[in-house]
Amino acid sequence: MELVRNWFNKLSLDRIQLELMNTAYGSGHASLSRLDPRGLLIWYLFFAIMPWFVNSLLVLAGMCLFMVVTTILSRVTPFIIFVLCLGLIGQVGWLFVISLFFGGDISSALPLLKLTLKLSVVSLASITVFSGMDPEKISDGLLALGVPAAFSFSLSYGYRILPVLFEEFRNVLLSYRLRGKAPEHPGLLYWRKGAYYLKLLVYAFFPLMLATAKRSRTTVEALETRGFSYGLKNPAAKKLKLSHLRFQTRDVLFLSGSAAYVAVLFWFG
Amino acid sequence: MPNEHRSLPASAMPEKTESPAIEIIGVSFTYPGSEQPVLNGANLSVAPGSFTAIIGGNGCGKSTLCKLFNGLIPHYYSGDFEGEVKLGGVPSQGQSVAELSRKVGYVYQDFENQLVRPTVLDEACFAPLNYGLPDYRERALRALDLCGLAPLASRFIWELSGGQKHLLALAGALALEPDILVVDEPVSQLDPRHARQVYEVLRRLNRIHGKTVIVIEHHTEFIADYCRDVCLMEQGRVLWKLPVTEALNRLDDLARLGIQPPEATQAAARLAALRGTAAQPLYPVTTGEALRHFGGLLEGPIGEADDRSRATGDTRDIGSTEAGTFGAIGTIDAADAADAIDAIDATVVRDAISAAPTARNPVGGPAEPKPDQRPPAAVIRLSQAALNYRTLRKAEHTVLRGLTLDIAEGERVALVGNNGAGKSSLLRLIAGIARPSGGSVDVLGLDTRSTSVEELSKHVAFVFQNPEDMFIEDSVRKEVAYCLKKRGYPDAGATVETMLRSFRLEELQDRDARLLSGGQQRRVSLAIGAAVRPAVMLLDEPTANLDLATREELLGTLRELERHVRTVLIATHDMQLVAGWATRVIVLHEGRVAADGTAAEVFADPELIRRAGLALTQSMELSAGLGLRPPCAAPQELADRLHRILAEKEAPSHGARPQLV
Repeated sequence: MELVRNWFNKLSLDRIQLELMNTAYGSGHASLSRLDPRGLLIWYLFFAIMPWFVNSLLVLAGMCLFMVVTTILSRVTPFIIFVLCLGLIGQVGWLFVISLFFGGDISSALPLLKLTLKLSVVSLASITVFSGMDPEKISDGLLALGVPAAFSFSLSYGYRILPVLFEEFRNVLLSYRLRGKAPEHPGLLYWRKGAYYLKLLVYAFFPLMLATAKRSRTTVEALETRGFSYGLKNPAAKKLKLSHLRFQTRDVLFLSGSAAYVAVLFWFG
Repeated sequence: MPNEHRSLPASAMPEKTESPAIEIIGVSFTYPGSEQPVLNGANLSVAPGSFTAIIGGNGCGKSTLCKLFNGLIPHYYSGDFEGEVKLGGVPSQGQSVAELSRKVGYVYQDFENQLVRPTVLDEACFAPLNYGLPDYRERALRALDLCGLAPLASRFIWELSGGQKHLLALAGALALEPDILVVDEPVSQLDPRHARQVYEVLRRLNRIHGKTVIVIEHHTEFIADYCRDVCLMEQGRVLWKLPVTEALNRLDDLARLGIQPPEATQAAARLAALRGTAAQPLYPVTTGEALRHFGGLLEGPIGEADDRSRATGDTRDIGSTEAGTFGAIGTIDAADAADAIDAIDATVVRDAISAAPTARNPVGGPAEPKPDQRPPAAVIRLSQAALNYRTLRKAEHTVLRGLTLDIAEGERVALVGNNGAGKSSLLRLIAGIARPSGGSVDVLGLDTRSTSVEELSKHVAFVFQNPEDMFIEDSVRKEVAYCLKKRGYPDAGATVETMLRSFRLEELQDRDARLLSGGQQRRVSLAIGAAVRPAVMLLDEPTANLDLATREELLGTLRELERHVRTVLIATHDMQLVAGWATRVIVLHEGRVAADGTAAEVFADPELIRRAGLALTQSMELSAGLGLRPPCAAPQELADRLHRILAEKEAPSHGARPQLV
C-alpha cells in the first residue's frame, strides 16, 4: 500500500517533463553526441531492421550486449530504462502466460526469449540514437539524408513546444482538479484514484487541443514572416543549414568498429 | 561582440532617401468571410528613422494596419483589398511576404508563439538561415548583442523569463537587419520593468542604428517617454498623426476611444480645471515635464526637496536614454526619488504617515475589519515555508526561503515584488498546488502537505494569471456551473444565476469563454472562483494584459467579489490597485518577506521600493518628486492635493508649510 502511494507521489507531470527534456536535450556531454548524425542514423537503421532477420541466439545476444554498451554511452535517464523494462516485461511476460494457458510449457520461453532479445536490440538502438543526439542533430541528419525539410523541421519544433504543451496540459489538469471532486476513498491499490486521474487525462485532451490551435495561428504567420516557406524552396538555405555537418575520423571508426563487431558475431553464429 | 559590427547599414538611410519608410494610400481591407471592412480608406506616411506609436480602441484595425507593412495582408490573408502600400518609395505590390519581411521585422503580441527553435542562438539564426545568408551566425550574434542577450546565447528558450523571450523575438526579427521594426503591444504581456527594458532596446535601435520603429501601444506613459509621433486610429481610418506631446494632449479624442492619457497629463488637466485657469495649450506628458510644471506652480516654498526633484526632472528630460518614469526600473530613478525624499524632514514624514487616512480605510467595500473587535483568527498560517524547484540541468532552484506569515480573516492582501520574487509560488503554496519543501502551510487548520488539491479547493479558490488556462467547458454558463455540479452543491442553479448576474455575464453565458475579450475572460475567471463561495480567494496578476478601460472595470468587479469572499490575496505589479484596494501589503524580495504593512507604510520607504523593484505609478513618482507625503496613488488625488496646497498658499496666513496638507 505504502509503495503504491509513494508511486503516486513520484509520478508527477513535472517529473515526466523533466525526464523527457533531459533525454532529449541533456545529451550534450554524451560521447555519442559528437558523432555525425548521418552516420548514426544509418547505424540505427541497420540495428532497427537487421534483428528481425536473424535467428541465431548468439548473434542476437551479442547485438544486445553491444546495444547495452551504446545505451550507457548515450547517458540515458533511468526513467526511460524503467519504461522500457516495463514495456518488455509486460509484453513478453503476458505472451508467456497466455502460452502456458494454451498448453505451452517452459519450452515456449525460449522463442519468447528470442523475441525479447530482438525487441531489446531495436529498443535500445532507438534509445541510443534519440537520447545520444539532441533533436536538432537528428533533424539535421534526416534533412541531410533527403527527408523533406518540412518533416525534419516539425521534428525539432515538436520537441521545442514540448515544454509549452506540458505547461498547458498541467494548467488544464489543474483546472479540473481545482474544480472537480476526487474519490473520497482511494480504493484497493488506489484503483479509484488511478481511474480518476486517467479520466482527467482523457478529459484534458480537448481543452489542450483548443489552446494549442489558438497558439499555432501566430506560429504559422511568424514562420511566414521569417522566411520559412521561402527557405523550403531554396536549395542554398538547405546547404547552409547542413554545412556544419562533418564526417570525421571518429565517425569512420565508430561505423567500421560496429561493422567489424557484427561481422565477428555472424562468423561465430 | 566587437563594436565595429554595431552600426548597421540602415543608419545611413535618412540622408539618402527622402521618400517615407512606409506609405499607405487609401487602403481598405475586409477579412474573408466578414462584412465589415477592418481598414476603411487608411492613409499613413511614416518617415524613415522615426519612432511612432499607433493607438486606438479595441478592434480599430491597428494590427491589421501593421500587417500591411510586411505584406501579410493582402498576400497571406486574401480578403478584399484596395489601395496602395509603398515601402521606401517602392510599391509593395508584387513582392512576396518573404521579400518584404527582409525589410520589415515583426514582433507579435503573443511573442512566445513566435519562437520556434530550442536555443537562443538557434532562434536568432533561424531567419537568416532560411534566406540562405552565409553570414547568418554573425548576423544572429549581432542581433543578440543589440538586444543584450549575447551572454544567454546557449540557453534553452524555456529557461528564459518573459522579458528575455520578448527580446529574443525582437532579436529574431533583427537578425535579417530590417530597416523597419513593428512591435505589437510589448507592455501588455510583460510586467512594467521588462516592458521598459524592451523599450530601452527599441530606443537604442532607433537612435543609434537608425531603425524606423513602430509600436502598437495603449500605455500612454510609455508612449510619452519613448515615442516621437503618435498615430490615432478609429474605425479603420487614421484620424491623425501628431508629435507625441500634441497627440497626448488631444484629451477629447483619447477619452472618446477609451485611452487614458499619462497620469501627469490627467493631473495637470484636472488641476487646471480646479483652479479655473484658462486651458493651457499643452499639458506635460512625461514625469520630468510634469515635475517642472507643478514645481513652477508651487514655486520656492516647497524647499530643498523641490529644487532637487526639479533638477532630476531636467536630467531625465534631456538625457532620456536613461530609464524613464517608473521608479522601479533603473536604479537611477529610484535613487533620485530617494534623494528627493531624504531631503524632507523625517518627522514630517512620520507625522504624515500616522495621519494617513487611506491606509486602513480603502475605497468602497463593506468587508472592513473593525479595529475594536478582538483580533480575528488566522486563516492562513505559514511557518518557515520554503519551496524549491528542480530545473532541467538537475539543479535545485530555491524560490521561497522560509516564510512565516499569518493572514487573518477579512484581510485584503496585496503581494508585491519584482518577477521571480516568489509571488506566484506563495499563492501556489497556499492553494496546495505546490507542497512546501520545508516548513508548513496551514489553511483553515488544514495542513496543505496532507490535504489534496481537490479538498483544499473547497475553501480556497485560485484564479490563474491567464484566464484562458481555466477554461475547460464550451460555454460561460457551464464553466461557472462545473464545480458546483461536480461537487453537488445545493441550489447550484440559483448560485450560477447569481454569479452570472453579479459579474455581468448573462449576455455572454452561451459563448465559448476562450473567444471572449481579455476583460470578459477575466470576469468569467473571477465568477468561476467566487461560485463556490470560498473562504479565501487567490488572484494571480488580475490586472495583467488588460487594457485600461477593462482594468477600471476590474476594480469594480473586485468590489463585487468582496461581497462573496472574505479574505482575498492578490499578487500584482499594479501599484494603483495596491494603494486603492489592499488593507495589507506584503513585499517579497528574493523569496523572503522584505516588508509587511499598510500601503502607506510600504510606499513611504524609498529604499525598500528600490530594493524590491516596485513599479510606482506616475502619480506616486510625482508626489515623491514634489515632496508630498504620503504619496498620491491616482492623478485625481494628486490634482486635488496640489489644488489644496495652492489654495492655502494663496491664502496669506498658511503659506509656510504646504507639505503638511
